Amino acid sequence: MPTTSSLQIGADDLAFPRLNALSYWLYLFSGILVGVSFFQGSTFAGGWTMYAPLNTPAYIPGEGLGATSVVLALIMFTAAVTMGSVNFLTTMYRMRAEGLRMRDIPIFSLSINLTVWMMLFAFAALLAALMILASDHVIGTTYFQFANDGSTLGTSAENPGASLLWAHLFWFFGHPEVYIVFFPALGAMAEIFQTFTGRRLVGRKWFIISMVLVAIQSFIVWMHHMFLTGINLPIKTIFMATTIGISLPFDLMVFSLIYTMAKGRVRFKTPFLFSLGALLLFILGGITGVFLGAIVLDYQFRGTYWVVAHFHYVMFGGATALIGGLYYWYPKMTGKMYDEFLGKVHFATFFVGFNLLYFPMFIAWETPRRVFEYPADLQIWHNLSTVGGFILGASMLVMFYNLFVSIWRGEDAGESPWKYASTAEWAVGSPPKLENFPGLPSYASGSLEFLDDEEVAERTGKPPGAGVAADGGTASDGGTARNIRAVTAPATPTAAAHETGGEGHASHASFWPFLVSLGGFIAFLGLSGVRTGSPVYVGMAAVGGLATVGSLVGMTRESFHAPEMAIAERWPFEGVEKMKLGMWTFLASDVVLFGGFIGSYAFVRVAYGWSDWHHDLIPAEHVTMPGLINTYLLLTSSFLVVLAMVAAKREWRGATTASLAGTFALGVGFLVNKGIEWNHLFHIHSEMFPNGWTLSTNIGSSTFYLTTGLHGAHVVVGLVICGYMTIRAWNGAYQGDDKPIEYFGLYWHFVDIVWLFLFPLFYIL
Amino acid sequence: MPSDTIAHAVGVPLHGGDVRAPADVFNSIFEVFLVLGTVVGIVVVAYTMYHAIKYRDSGSTDDPYADTVERPQLGEKPTGGTGGRKVFYSFGISAVIVVSLIAWTYTTLLYIENGPDESQAAIDAIEIEVEGFQFGWNFVYPNGHETNSLVVPQDRVIKLQVTSLDVFHNFGIPELRVKTDALPGQYTSAWFTASETGEYTAKCYELCGTGHSLMVTSVEVVPQSEYDEWYADTQSSGNGTSGNVTAAIDAGATTAVGGAPA
Repeated sequence: MPTTSSLQIGADDLAFPRLNALSYWLYLFSGILVGVSFFQGSTFAGGWTMYAPLNTPAYIPGEGLGATSVVLALIMFTAAVTMGSVNFLTTMYRMRAEGLRMRDIPIFSLSINLTVWMMLFAFAALLAALMILASDHVIGTTYFQFANDGSTLGTSAENPGASLLWAHLFWFFGHPEVYIVFFPALGAMAEIFQTFTGRRLVGRKWFIISMVLVAIQSFIVWMHHMFLTGINLPIKTIFMATTIGISLPFDLMVFSLIYTMAKGRVRFKTPFLFSLGALLLFILGGITGVFLGAIVLDYQFRGTYWVVAHFHYVMFGGATALIGGLYYWYPKMTGKMYDEFLGKVHFATFFVGFNLLYFPMFIAWETPRRVFEYPADLQIWHNLSTVGGFILGASMLVMFYNLFVSIWRGEDAGESPWKYASTAEWAVGSPPKLENFPGLPSYASGSLEFLDDEEVAERTGKPPGAGVAADGGTASDGGTARNIRAVTAPATPTAAAHETGGEGHASHASFWPFLVSLGGFIAFLGLSGVRTGSPVYVGMAAVGGLATVGSLVGMTRESFHAPEMAIAERWPFEGVEKMKLGMWTFLASDVVLFGGFIGSYAFVRVAYGWSDWHHDLIPAEHVTMPGLINTYLLLTSSFLVVLAMVAAKREWRGATTASLAGTFALGVGFLVNKGIEWNHLFHIHSEMFPNGWTLSTNIGSSTFYLTTGLHGAHVVVGLVICGYMTIRAWNGAYQGDDKPIEYFGLYWHFVDIVWLFLFPLFYIL
Repeated sequence: MPSDTIAHAVGVPLHGGDVRAPADVFNSIFEVFLVLGTVVGIVVVAYTMYHAIKYRDSGSTDDPYADTVERPQLGEKPTGGTGGRKVFYSFGISAVIVVSLIAWTYTTLLYIENGPDESQAAIDAIEIEVEGFQFGWNFVYPNGHETNSLVVPQDRVIKLQVTSLDVFHNFGIPELRVKTDALPGQYTSAWFTASETGEYTAKCYELCGTGHSLMVTSVEVVPQSEYDEWYADTQSSGNGTSGNVTAAIDAGATTAVGGAPA
């Protein structure tokens, strides 16, 4: 995915290559942690939706540490996803080939762009849900328990919002996730349709507008997963409307694909067969989805095979298109052609198996999900499904064999084996070189060209060879007579010369991302068992934590430079440099994270009774003063960061250092003050709270400590950065270059602003 | 309360039989959707396949549509193809079908949500509290009697107040088309009527732990007279079994029903 879309938009690499490595390693280790969790037991014991309170330790049989590890693993995965999202978005907005407006980028890349936007926000909400759940597991907060003592039978709910809170958090992530999974498939489908029908996408503009609408609307349909939870009629009506509303753009996209075939030269190669198959499956999934949009029907479909069949037609239908995408880009990735006959065999068995597996589920829809008994008269359909499942599984073996063997036996694919393929990835060799393009790609003339060094130098005013090579990724010994190589020309020998591009491409080889991820893995595995008190687990948590922090410092100190493209299309962020854009994107997801925490607090408090809350749950010793002092400390520290920037710009080394040191001191003061406050509250002995007001005391204390604690953690991260920068400033850094201080300042101001919300919510109201 | 409500009950007419049952509502809508869905499915799939086959590449070197259609070129800046108007017409038709179908079902949603007309049926509705637990059901009748399986009279409006004593469950009687979530700390409501006597099954529709599959119980629909007999028998033991767990809810339920377990 990164490769194809960066090729399609003409970027030579991702904006932050080392972050990409970190994202990858975190992803890998999160997967390993999920694997390990199965050996600890109880992984996903409550199903993948992990409904509360079945997901809390009170309901997990035995020690059930796997249930905790898997939540921590998902946190790690979400961190990887967020880094990836920041990276992709920065790349797409800062590194497009000249002349490519956002609306001009190929439809697959556009679908990825929207997918990543949805990921940025949806996964932040998931992160909030997972962090809260992990804290219920590891440090004993009581968000998802409806009785404070963890008792499992009774109706006296001390936290009546517990169950629904999880459902809301989960589906606020869960529904956009459906489109996150489906959009890349949609993009691949559209791309493959264009190539194999020899037609440009009909109604492309409206196709794009439809996708944008879906991406936005995906965040306002989540409650249709909760129609039976007792939400009131007006809200149900709104969510019914948004749900039907989100299906309409898909109608348009389906018709757009159908009409793209008209007057085409349709060639039934494997990629197209899978895409066409996916379209048919999606049509069936869409029609059966309309059934679910009618709430009266939805009630009865809830928890039955109708839902199972419907979402497999949609989601696995999407996967079908992605398999088509795999065949489509296989020659680009490997330089070899797969075997067409085996590809068609794969499609035929896959399509038969798919429908045999899932279609009978519509007929046997009365079967409840996750129940191993069903009425005897439905047996034939279940048997057919089982047979279909095996056929579907077997068909995938054909693909693996085909793709594996073709790496050696396949014919050479050349730059493009596909007639009418139009996007940029088909204009370079297969597989593409490390630097992606034989020159700096540009669409300025209306179609793709590669600018060589001299041309770039002329345009940017820099002498050839100096920095330009690194920027464009071209080697300065490319020496061709022409400045511009049009893509329609056959590959010239110059391409070969680029292989030895020397220092041309930024080296990605950094060991630190791997070590950070390994440390995180050990720390999380340790955390999963900390509540048992076992020294092995505690030790792992400590060692892993130290290793993570140590490697992060190492990563910061390592000199690493990923140059930007000399000429690129950057709308709408021409004026925002790469780091700043990355920081802003990250903060946008952080807003949703805090939104998740603050929203959870508001939700459980409203469910409890807004004013009773303060009376029943909060001790008199919880006073406003510590919060007020902390507000003052943080605001002052933000002011000092601004002073540090000014001083750095004017090259006043002493003042820069002093301002940063002041910021650091005020931040430490904030934490010390908070520490005193918390310590006091932990140990109060009042009539209401004879054993202190700790994390587990009630839902009021849980929300207070966890939400302000998350903010405190942000302060700690800020202080680590600030301390590091103070030392560097003392050694003379940043003079005349206040950018790094500005990036830190953005983060620090954000943390302050969050506090301005938390203070009234947790101290005054 | 117990003795005079029974006496009162005998004289109450059986309005439940006149009420349109949720099962009937569901089945009729489902039927329309199935027919329409099948027709639309066949038409759209056929239309798609028609395009795919009609415009397949014959392998000839001449482009049959060279005059009207421009083929994509490698390296071109992506643009749209011609023929967008047809997309809009088709989209318009599909949107009208979908929106009108859903709008049509909305009135029935109101019916299912609000229950049958109060003046018609409320006086003889029976309100029963349902408590889900790992792994079974507890039914609390207005007189405080508790059972683990449900007994209800034929042709009566049965209103359910559903909650959970532990985790997230979902209470459903599939044949009677009644279903609602059972959440700890909250109540959801649902109602149904059964016109046929017999034995039905209630199931849990939300994964609630290892015994989820076993969380089934019987729902017995009996003639009114038989029910009255059964219910009278529960009186003696009735209030005694109602622990403090359900006491608070009983109070609420009794007032809501207006003292009338028929």
